[in-house]
Amino acid sequence: MIHAKIIDVSKEKISLTKAQKFITSNKCGASIYFVGTVRDQNDNKKVTGITYDSHDVLVIKSFEEIYKEAETKFKFENTTVFIEHIKGYAALGETSIIIAVTCKHRAQAYEFSRYIIEEIKKKTPIWKKEHYENEDSKWLKGSPLIDKNQLK
Amino acid sequence: MKIKLELYGASREFSEKDFLEFDLNEKSSINDLRNEILNFIDKNFKGNSNFKKLVETSKFCSEENNIISDSYKITKNQKIGIIPPIGGG
Repeated sequence: MIHAKIIDVSKEKISLTKAQKFITSNKCGASIYFVGTVRDQNDNKKVTGITYDSHDVLVIKSFEEIYKEAETKFKFENTTVFIEHIKGYAALGETSIIIAVTCKHRAQAYEFSRYIIEEIKKKTPIWKKEHYENEDSKWLKGSPLIDKNQLK
Repeated sequence: MKIKLELYGASREFSEKDFLEFDLNEKSSINDLRNEILNFIDKNFKGNSNFKKLVETSKFCSEENNIISDSYKITKNQKIGIIPPIGGG
């Protein structure tokens, strides 16, 4: 089971409580919460915040596909995954992404969670514009989208 | 055919609006659209090499929200999204 959503920070907040409610299950003994936040340095520049941009429909599609791939790859039973990513501006220390995973056992939960974030980095159309102390800003280079399965 | 190119990520620097419009010949492909965007960069940004590299490394997304290849034939007026290299999380 998966919950996948883009949170427009001008309208609502990303919340760990929501993640916790969604993944709670008596069938599972391990939960992992991955929380991505804005850090203060990148490439020797002092970062003050990041603006996130996203292709919302493709992002949700990508989260759901990554979950299906993970299910096929690991074949763990009763997994539940909650993924939310923000769009809009996040200041230093604010949360950009929450991935909450629950599995029967801890090793499974670690593996499942790690797989999901690594695949998101490669496959999910989200972009970052960093803002710096000197009021300058820059879109980060990123990596070309990997999406061989969807090529038509 | 009228193509509304929706801009994302660094490609938003191409316009103050969040889209560009192109008029393409019938049966043009995504590769033709890519060349039109490169011509647009030449004309409006003096061939800015960073912008051109961005266009060359971008994917495109159809109105039906599928990633489409360079050989994909555009058969009607439609919205197409440019998907520059990604880096979220």
